[in-house]
Amino acid sequence: MVPSEAGAVAAPRRGLSWRDLGGAIRLESLVVLVLLCLALSLLSPYFLSVANALNILLATSVIGILGFASTFVIASAGIDLSLGSVLGFGGVVGALAVNVLGLPWPFGIVLGLAAGAFCGLINGLLVALAGIPAFIVTLGMLGVARGAALVLTGGQPIYGLPAPLVWLGQGRPFGVPVPAILFLALAAVTHFLLSRTRFGKYALVIGDNENAARATGIHVARLRIGLYTLSGLLAGLAGLLFAARVNSGDPTAGISYELTAITAAILGGSNLFGGRASVVGTLIGALIMGVLQNGLNLLAVSSFYQQMAIGSVLVLAVWLDQWNRSRGRA
Amino acid sequence: MTPLLELVDVRKKFGAVEALRGVSFALAPGEVLALLGDNGAGKSTLMKTITGIHRASAGRILFAGADLASHDPGQIRALGVEMIYQDLALARQQDVASNIFLGREPTRRFLGLPLHVIDRARIEREAEAMIRRLGARVPSVRYRVGDLSGGQQQSVAIARALTFAPKLVIMDEPTAALAVREVEHVLELVRELKRQGIAVILISHRLTDVFAVCDRAIVLRQGRTVADERVAETSMNTIVAHIVGAG
Amino acid sequence: MQRRILLLAAAVSAGLAVPPAARAAAPTYAVLLKTLSNPFWGAMAQGIAAGGKASGVAIFQQAAASDQAAEQELNICNTMLERKPAALIASAINSSNLLPCMKQANAQHIPVVDLDANLDPAITAKAGVKVAFTIGSDNIAAGAKAADFMAARLGKTATGPVLVIEGLAGNITGEQRAQGFRTELAKVAPGLKVVASLPGDWDANKAANITNDTLTRSPGLVAIFAANDTMALGAVESVFAAGKGGKIVVVGVDGTSAGVKSIKAGRLSASVAQLPYLEGIEAVANVKKILAGGTVPSVIHVPTVLLTQAVLKAGTDPLLQYVK
Repeated sequence: MVPSEAGAVAAPRRGLSWRDLGGAIRLESLVVLVLLCLALSLLSPYFLSVANALNILLATSVIGILGFASTFVIASAGIDLSLGSVLGFGGVVGALAVNVLGLPWPFGIVLGLAAGAFCGLINGLLVALAGIPAFIVTLGMLGVARGAALVLTGGQPIYGLPAPLVWLGQGRPFGVPVPAILFLALAAVTHFLLSRTRFGKYALVIGDNENAARATGIHVARLRIGLYTLSGLLAGLAGLLFAARVNSGDPTAGISYELTAITAAILGGSNLFGGRASVVGTLIGALIMGVLQNGLNLLAVSSFYQQMAIGSVLVLAVWLDQWNRSRGRA
Repeated sequence: MTPLLELVDVRKKFGAVEALRGVSFALAPGEVLALLGDNGAGKSTLMKTITGIHRASAGRILFAGADLASHDPGQIRALGVEMIYQDLALARQQDVASNIFLGREPTRRFLGLPLHVIDRARIEREAEAMIRRLGARVPSVRYRVGDLSGGQQQSVAIARALTFAPKLVIMDEPTAALAVREVEHVLELVRELKRQGIAVILISHRLTDVFAVCDRAIVLRQGRTVADERVAETSMNTIVAHIVGAG
Repeated sequence: MQRRILLLAAAVSAGLAVPPAARAAAPTYAVLLKTLSNPFWGAMAQGIAAGGKASGVAIFQQAAASDQAAEQELNICNTMLERKPAALIASAINSSNLLPCMKQANAQHIPVVDLDANLDPAITAKAGVKVAFTIGSDNIAAGAKAADFMAARLGKTATGPVLVIEGLAGNITGEQRAQGFRTELAKVAPGLKVVASLPGDWDANKAANITNDTLTRSPGLVAIFAANDTMALGAVESVFAAGKGGKIVVVGVDGTSAGVKSIKAGRLSASVAQLPYLEGIEAVANVKKILAGGTVPSVIHVPTVLLTQAVLKAGTDPLLQYVK
């Protein structure tokens, strides 16, 4: 009774995607990661070991968590340029709470997280209610949060955290670094949130077609506020881990990390224009960069070549994606 | 009979621009109403005001006894008002099943915890059933909507409007982009809805369609209702005269 | 609600940008810093303020948003000259970005001070810019001092792998410190071999990662030199987290407050303190001397001091008062 198609229906092609892992994994990213690991296994005798794998996870944890934050925002066709600054602010607030105010360590964690979430909340309110473009709002927060971190500390790192906080960054239960455990646990939680809940689904729908979201009764503004708050919360957590790792709340921590985080998301197959994003993809994207950096360090490659290598891998991964898509169209 | 939908002097201002300057009409259950008017007459604004995307500046909109002024689009859908937009309002990167259940995903508890996850299996099952019931040729509910043809996409939009037992379906230019043979399918759908007692508001430029399926026609001009006639008792020339303002 | 947040945001950012109000009576020295967003420049700013107070002059101090914002720094410099300061004390982001402004200052007969030795004398001369004096610490010597400490601590005949963590790739300060370290280490303890020299980008987290990775490759690592304290802290915390605390000598440069605390806590082995606070005081004092008609050397080296747990405990080194 409904319009059925007149002519023969050409079966549309499903891109190389791995549906059950969120539907947006680029196999290309996984291929790049595997090739990179193979190459480094051949080049360095130290690469292929459990200890080194744990090192990579540890080294990727801060950037990876920021990557998860940016995955949600990018899903909704937004952007959060304040991640690195909010990281610095969250770490500083946490360190100040325990070191200067002398509060018990759980308050350091709570206040650090709250500081991050607060920055995110302000971003969300300005984007969703005042209607200012996310690029501008978060660029402003990049300056304000960094400035606030510097003002609070007078530009000096707050050195010395209580043992339980340091354990958060340096502990190794069963030989596994705590940040690596948190990183993987957060990957699972955020993947679940993005791929299985309405919150995640609506984030993607808003990024895909905001009008469709409104027409079907999705509360776009409320959701946006939630997304940016989540982003800030995760940045605050990354800031606490950063501080715990280096035993000090450094107001300059995380400068330009937002760009690396966004790169991880894009490498993992998220669409910068919204509607397609995957936490597992971002995990792979972050690992590509972590593995590459680890390999370059193991091989003791000098700084200038490091930049070239990192840039090349980024272009390679995106090119593979484009090649795969254009082949699909033909 | 009490009307299903009743508009009383509905007005809508965008800043200094007055898009609706007093629209009043009533719609009975199962009635098929044509909403006509030239471009810019206020048809789209009126429909978006009914569905809650816009909020009326003045006047009352009553649906099945409820005043819609205090409702958001989700609540209005829940009352049984569905709209099929001309641009279809689909999320192109989501699959067919997700689009059909957009905004109304059934959830279930995850591993018995107080965590609510989208019930993916149920969505796929019910979407599949709906597509089959509509006889739409959509290869799989797992296909991304952006990969489908225009006609298939419209089927998805229609399926979304009909899945949750609507009382009123608003269609915005459903036949504008279709071939002649496909138009007949849409018109047959409208007749079928009427048989099931579902009211329809059809926005169209094609008067032949209107005369084929509609009971009544309302003409908007410059934000006002200028005509409200029974289709059986009027002629195309009269309607056209109302639309262009020569009547 | 929204408006209040907007206002709050505006107030915060404005508060950051508003310069300290210049006092009308005293002569004003315009001070332009590369950035305020690291401890070294923060201490420099404090030293300059203290120097201004001691000399009874007003200080009008500004900084670029980051040490990459070369053009912005030039704009700030030009604006500063509009206020007709008695002197211009500037730390240029690179050897050429401030030259037009400095030339203008020359024309206005405002003495120009090269703060922290960022200018290249050849380029400056070619541009026809006259500099009253250059003040700064010797970064090569600072790196060398770290190497001397390492040799003293481990013994001149010690052998083993050493890691160098450089600053931001291409940054002259980091390069000079690393280069000074490597050259001196080869001289005083040839058995200690630099097995990797990697860019830590002034970032504690990256330095921690580099340390982990290098420990994988060279588990017998005996020492780490980081081109600043921020990175040294990342490295030393990573060493402790790996269970090698106290077994690897870790040396940084700068003598930041966090570095000092870490040394006192027995974690960081040493830091070559550069005394930016003293440099700030000295810069202002020497400008005053010039304006009073006196002469000063064209290059003034600010001393460095090696901070170790013993030195800090003794507390007798007079230079310690300038360690902030």
